[in-house]
Amino acid sequence: MKIQISNGMFMALIINLIYAKAIGLTQGSMAREIGNDMWVATFLSILQGLVIMFITIKVLKRTPEHNVMQQSAMLMGKWAGKFVALLLFLFLTAAYGAVLATFVYHLNDYFLPDAPILVFVLIALLVGIYATFFGIEVIGRMALIGVLSLFLLNILILMGSISYFDIRELMPVLETGIGRTAWASRFHNTDWAIATIMAAILLPNVKDKGTWGSSGIMGLVFSGFMVILWPILEAGVLTAGVTGDYIISCMQMARSAEIGYFLHRYEMIMIAFFALSTFTQIMILYLCASVCVKELFNLKDFRPAVIPSSLILSALGYLLVTDHGRSMIFIEKYWVIGCLVFAIPFPIILWILGSIFKKKLKKKKLEAQNKNKGQ
Amino acid sequence: MKRFFLFIMIIISGLVLSGCLGKREINDLAIVMAVGIDKGEDGLVKITAQIVRPADSRGQTGAPSGQTGDPIWSASSEGETLFEAIRNLSTFSSRRVFWAHNYAIVINEDYAKDGISEVVDFFTRNPELRMRTWVMVTPEKASRLVSTLTGLEVIPGEALDKLFRYTRISVQAPKTQMIDVQAALTNEYVEPVIARVRLTKKGVSNKKPGESGAIEQVELAGAGAFKGDKLVGIIEPEEMKGMLPFIEKMETGLVVLQCPTDDKKKLSVELENHRFKITPKYKEEMPEFDIHYSVTGSIVEGDCVLTIKDRPKIKGLEKQMETQLKDQIETIVQKAQKDYQSDFLEFGNIFNNHYPAEWKNIKSRWEAVFPEVKVETTIEGEINDSSLLFKSSANH
Repeated sequence: MKIQISNGMFMALIINLIYAKAIGLTQGSMAREIGNDMWVATFLSILQGLVIMFITIKVLKRTPEHNVMQQSAMLMGKWAGKFVALLLFLFLTAAYGAVLATFVYHLNDYFLPDAPILVFVLIALLVGIYATFFGIEVIGRMALIGVLSLFLLNILILMGSISYFDIRELMPVLETGIGRTAWASRFHNTDWAIATIMAAILLPNVKDKGTWGSSGIMGLVFSGFMVILWPILEAGVLTAGVTGDYIISCMQMARSAEIGYFLHRYEMIMIAFFALSTFTQIMILYLCASVCVKELFNLKDFRPAVIPSSLILSALGYLLVTDHGRSMIFIEKYWVIGCLVFAIPFPIILWILGSIFKKKLKKKKLEAQNKNKGQ
Repeated sequence: MKRFFLFIMIIISGLVLSGCLGKREINDLAIVMAVGIDKGEDGLVKITAQIVRPADSRGQTGAPSGQTGDPIWSASSEGETLFEAIRNLSTFSSRRVFWAHNYAIVINEDYAKDGISEVVDFFTRNPELRMRTWVMVTPEKASRLVSTLTGLEVIPGEALDKLFRYTRISVQAPKTQMIDVQAALTNEYVEPVIARVRLTKKGVSNKKPGESGAIEQVELAGAGAFKGDKLVGIIEPEEMKGMLPFIEKMETGLVVLQCPTDDKKKLSVELENHRFKITPKYKEEMPEFDIHYSVTGSIVEGDCVLTIKDRPKIKGLEKQMETQLKDQIETIVQKAQKDYQSDFLEFGNIFNNHYPAEWKNIKSRWEAVFPEVKVETTIEGEINDSSLLFKSSANH
């Protein structure tokens, strides 16, 4: 029997996938381009994310028992399914580069500058592999804890920085124009794109199919609420100029936070909450990558694919994060292009193909159902 | 297989996770409490670190057994860059210099005149330092200032910290933190303004009480006005009352007025409920600004017979108060526009917030436009409280 997670866990997976990079790395990139309008760009990006998430869920609802790779196989044949699995694996490999950079630069640059980068990569690998072996339910439960920790992190940063907030720093709104602001939203689009791809792979494991749509949408809306707090605070406390000066601008916020005179430098507490969520993010990516490898090689279970796929993700991620310059070029340029060129048209194309080959899909679905009943 | 995998995982985790990579033992650290930056010889940078001696800084005076009795150790070194100067400290510091607890960065004015961007860059790049470290300029040698004990504190850096924490009462200097300086430097339309401190012989020795002013103390002494990263002028402490409403949220303040009944006698009014608003306008392709400052006052001291219900006399005091506040505001605006031609009062930023389209035409020539900008000031002062006394009867 297929292991399933609750819709709440699915929402938690979305929030954990989006949050970590969106609050720091992404805001730094946006601040460099559009200054204090980064919160507007984040908002516009969330709206775009809602549309793509809606389409993705709509596509998956056609074959609720099958993920996007299996649906592609039904639509266009076995090899098309394998090709989609390969594309998704490549997407997740690149996504892992951005996720690993976020994880490593938070811990290495601000807390353990003397520790070799390899240590962080290995820790992510070991913890990630261990959790992935337990499957989606354990990761789903971890995601719930991750959301709670992110909620606490948001409260802590709000308490520590609200007294320094100056709303004038957010003005004038849309200073660089709506066009440039909308274009800058591409940086945050790469964050929710990972969540929509995750939904395309793992949605069949979510229990209540009737509320898939609202769960997906609400997951994005909640993550939007949690993320948008950061660009507003970063602009109002740090200023857009300072936010744009840093690779991990959220850590600058954390370093500047104080609760009264006696509680400052509590970024260690915040980073503990942050790490819980980031580890969950890493686990989700390993799981998704393993599922892709499973589909690619027609394996019965994803578990034999966990170690090889995690090793590939980690090895390539390590090569990327050893050079800050290289990873920033990758994250701000190549990842944005590659991610959006794939993640936005992918569900749309599948949706169109599904509409064209409606009858074929229905037939294949019935065949699959009969096959399952026969077994 | 599962158990074997778990066993391998535990072994690997034991090797990787139980280590203390990057650990720093507290007794291996030289904890910096304040740092002074001066011009060194031959164009070098001189850095003076005030380092705490933990065993001697427990609030005890004298030299307990085995200790020096001196709560700090100050050490200087020079280098071509700040980083090199700091690295050179380690050639004679027996412990690793640790910046995470630094309270204050003191920059000598001669150094600041050549530019402080290197200082801001270094201290904002360093992960050990807090962004809320106090930054100040001084006409003294920074090395001397950071070694001077002030107030009740055992550690001079801590004294500087507390001096700034409570500056809202003295209204003698802005509360400048590294994050503010960095923000001002990254904003091309805002010029930084940094707190200023100096040494003054105001401390009284308990051993020689007759020799008043025998001990040097650090005092808040206005602010340094910058243009870009270069110090261009000084705002004196008495001018700060006019300047602080522009850059900080005012909580208190004080005006000394003449008694309505006797010009030679004085009366102190504590200011509360400050409301400071700058409204930009755009007329004939030129920006204009209306400053509206409303404040309420409470008579906290009076050397004359006066009751709060005596409205005509109170009205007269309010007029005096308004004139004084208006003078203070106009003096600082004049200083920014004419003397230093530096927009440290953030007029450009305010105009941009309200007129972004018009600002696009002005911003490139703001430096030339700013001194010619018309600024109107309106003060609304009200005295509505006389503390505990309904009428003063001291002179009856």
